[in-house]
Amino acid sequence: MSNFYEDIETKPAEKTFLDSSELILNMGPQHPSTHGVLRVILKLDGEKVLGTECVMGYLHRGVEKIAENRTYVQFNPYVDRMDYVAAVSNGLGYCLAVEKLLNTEAPPRAQYIRVIMTELNRIASHQVWLGTHALDIGALTPLFYTFRDREEILKIFEKYCGARLTTHAFRIGGTQYETYEGFEKDCLEFCDFFLPKCDEYEELLTTNRIWVERTKGVGVITGEECKALGVTGPVLRASGVRWDLRKAQPYSSYQDFDFEVPIGLNGDTFDRYIVRMQEMRQSVRIIRQAVEGLPEGPIMAKIPKVLKPPVGEVYVSIEAPKGELGYFIVSDGSTQPYRVRVRPPSFVNLQALDLMVRGRLVADVVAVIGTLDIVLGEIDR
Amino acid sequence: MSIAPLLRKIFLVDLLKGLSVTFRYQKPGEIITEQYPMERPAIAERYRGQPRLNVNPDTGETLCIACGLCALACPEKLITVQSERNPETKRKELTSFSYDTSRCMFCGLCEEACSTDALELTQDYEFALYERDGMVFNRQRLEKGPEPTVYAR
Amino acid sequence: MGFLEFFYAKNITPGEAGNYTWATIYILVMFALASIAVMLMTWLERKIMAHMQIRLGPMRVGPHGLLQPIADAVKLLLKEDIVPTKADRIVYWLAPCAVMVIAFATYPIIPWGRAHAVTDVNIGVLFMLGVSSLGVLGIIMAGWASNSHYPLMGSLRSSAQMVSYEIAMGLAVVSAILMTSLQTGTGTLSMIGIVESQMAQKTWFVFNGWGLGFIAFVVFAIAMIAETNRAPFDLPEAESELVAGFHTEYSGFRWSLFFLAEYAAMIGVSAIAVTLWLGGWLRPFPNLLSGNTWDIAFGLFPALTFVVLGGVCIALAIKMPGIVQLRIQKFGMLAFGLLLFFIGVLFAVPGVRERVQDIYWFSLKIAIFMYLYIWYRATFPRYRFDQLMKVGWKVLLPTALGVLMGTALWGVLR
Repeated sequence: MSNFYEDIETKPAEKTFLDSSELILNMGPQHPSTHGVLRVILKLDGEKVLGTECVMGYLHRGVEKIAENRTYVQFNPYVDRMDYVAAVSNGLGYCLAVEKLLNTEAPPRAQYIRVIMTELNRIASHQVWLGTHALDIGALTPLFYTFRDREEILKIFEKYCGARLTTHAFRIGGTQYETYEGFEKDCLEFCDFFLPKCDEYEELLTTNRIWVERTKGVGVITGEECKALGVTGPVLRASGVRWDLRKAQPYSSYQDFDFEVPIGLNGDTFDRYIVRMQEMRQSVRIIRQAVEGLPEGPIMAKIPKVLKPPVGEVYVSIEAPKGELGYFIVSDGSTQPYRVRVRPPSFVNLQALDLMVRGRLVADVVAVIGTLDIVLGEIDR
Repeated sequence: MSIAPLLRKIFLVDLLKGLSVTFRYQKPGEIITEQYPMERPAIAERYRGQPRLNVNPDTGETLCIACGLCALACPEKLITVQSERNPETKRKELTSFSYDTSRCMFCGLCEEACSTDALELTQDYEFALYERDGMVFNRQRLEKGPEPTVYAR
Repeated sequence: MGFLEFFYAKNITPGEAGNYTWATIYILVMFALASIAVMLMTWLERKIMAHMQIRLGPMRVGPHGLLQPIADAVKLLLKEDIVPTKADRIVYWLAPCAVMVIAFATYPIIPWGRAHAVTDVNIGVLFMLGVSSLGVLGIIMAGWASNSHYPLMGSLRSSAQMVSYEIAMGLAVVSAILMTSLQTGTGTLSMIGIVESQMAQKTWFVFNGWGLGFIAFVVFAIAMIAETNRAPFDLPEAESELVAGFHTEYSGFRWSLFFLAEYAAMIGVSAIAVTLWLGGWLRPFPNLLSGNTWDIAFGLFPALTFVVLGGVCIALAIKMPGIVQLRIQKFGMLAFGLLLFFIGVLFAVPGVRERVQDIYWFSLKIAIFMYLYIWYRATFPRYRFDQLMKVGWKVLLPTALGVLMGTALWGVLR
């Protein structure tokens, strides 16, 4: 499957498009279902997909290059703009990476606040996924319900750090903002509000025969294939591999919390759906535990005003809602990083698209792109 | 197949459950739409919106001491602070302050860096303009602060 | 029959009476009301789907968006009329006309009441099924004339879907026709005849046959959704799929003709369902709750509906905030509410009451079907094309055949 365009030129001229020979279909950058500006070139035989090729780069903004010209503190706001759906996780990963470079740790209160914000952010990201995935498959209403839930979370974010989407919530060494008056109450109220809504989504979709037929057996990927490609996140867990960075390599006091990691059995779209729904419920559990156990204390560690980390390199990864988000930072001792390389989960997960849609119908491509939960801001940076 | 799932399949129980969920949501009380611009949303206090240079309410003097920390903190280098030293008090006095909102990403680093309470990001988000010229705020514009448009029609 | 003679006769349609003037008047009135109904459907669909999606829908164009259909029509009329270069111009122009004409061609024999149809053909049901099958022709014409890959594939898929579900529809219809022959020994295909046989048998056919009538009704209800390309069977015209459907290349008013024809077809097939199973223009419980008082009580329903609607409009108008921007909307809503209220009062007058009865009950049942259509669209995901065909051929067709045989057996054993 090297270069599709060469194949077109060698086709004999008499054949028309009605013959069931190979057809190149361009699911172009502007498409309601590609979750951003992603171009997918499909090679079809009639209605069956023979192969795909993804063309990215339509949203490339040079974030990693920008990092080389900003100080560590100044680069923090740029990081939110990569996975713009779940901006808090990006900030967490970056702050943890720089803190590791500086060999410090945020104080316990800051760590708990970080956990609460990150888990709220996980729910928000999964809500966007659920709404858009259901919309692609044809159910028009869950989108509005999930965005209503997301609205509640964004209100909490706005009250806490001042912005809804590009939150810039955390700082290197801790958090800047102390929790506002009523933060705990808002979080607990949200948890009580949200769990019945989860049940409603299950009522609307999980047993619905049309939903089950559209998602069961579609886009199957085994655990071995996932590990070979480097796919992480709910996609990996739905294929049966029990790997969650919050349990395997706990960061930011996740070891204090008691939660489960949902695993799927078959690795198809339906399992990924169930895994993400269960992850949302587990996030609610974590938030409740964190809010109830929020310790007193400072929210910022003692770090120098002008940050000059020692020469070295560090790779820190966290369990973002979409998978393993990693930051590889090389420091040359100055105030600006030498190189910041981001390992976006969606970029690596997108490799699995080809494997998942081989031999399936065109209508399944849309479902599979939705179930991979990609954000182009992260893929292109 | 055992009898209960078979009956559920024949009588379309799963579809009816989904129908009941959408039916329940038709109550007007569930609607969360805010009819902007007639109903304005409630903005949090920490919201990072339009910048403003605060003045002392009693004397009318600017609170800015021209330390330049905001200009240093900004990732986009869009703040320029110019000052001159007052020969009597030996303090720096602000002459001009320029803030380019067209490049600003409202990250709040300038607000955090400000050593007095001078530079503040307010709760105003309605400052769209038709031309780019008005987007570079000078000192007068910053001190005047937000002027939200009144919706007339 | 003469002109005035017909006016005072109560139980005969113009076609049967042979009066051409009245037939023309009926046709014009029916066409006007059908157009208004279709425009109202566009507004209703947006409002009801919006409420199910916890949002408001159109609110700005008129009070609560009531003038939105007019705004949409004006916008579509003013749009640029794009014709693809290599398109077959004549067929391209003909396709939306064909679809629209075919959708409206079933309306003359829809029995809104005993005397409220344009005419009564003695092969009524066959005519309606046949004409609505012709709709496939319009879709294929549209796909072909666009001279583009994807509309062609979309139109072929859409036509395959419509044809396969027509078979299940037809079999369900036959089992209902069988039920008309129970009392008299001879069945009838005429629409008015079917409703009169339900009246004679003192039951709606949906309750007949120990549930067989109900199953036939459900089969027809599902098949008619697929027939009109509505959710959950709307893959050929879905927005988020790749093949965008037969009306891709159409813009502006031509597209709106397809759109309106779809609603008109929805009303047409719902009319078949209502006539065959739900008792047409008969009021609920004609034999259980009979007698003069019950007649008058049910007779007040049209008046009650309009009075309640008017009251709701007036309440909404009062609840609107009294700011200056909403003054005109408030006034308009109040006026509309008062208009509905007075229509309701008018319908309570004894002379008007009897005339409006049949039309009201028939329209109410059609309105319930329209609401169900919108409800399904808001709730269900979409079937993939192969699953759609599987449901049509492997689930609905055997069920319809089984119901047919069961109805025949039941009729013999009675």
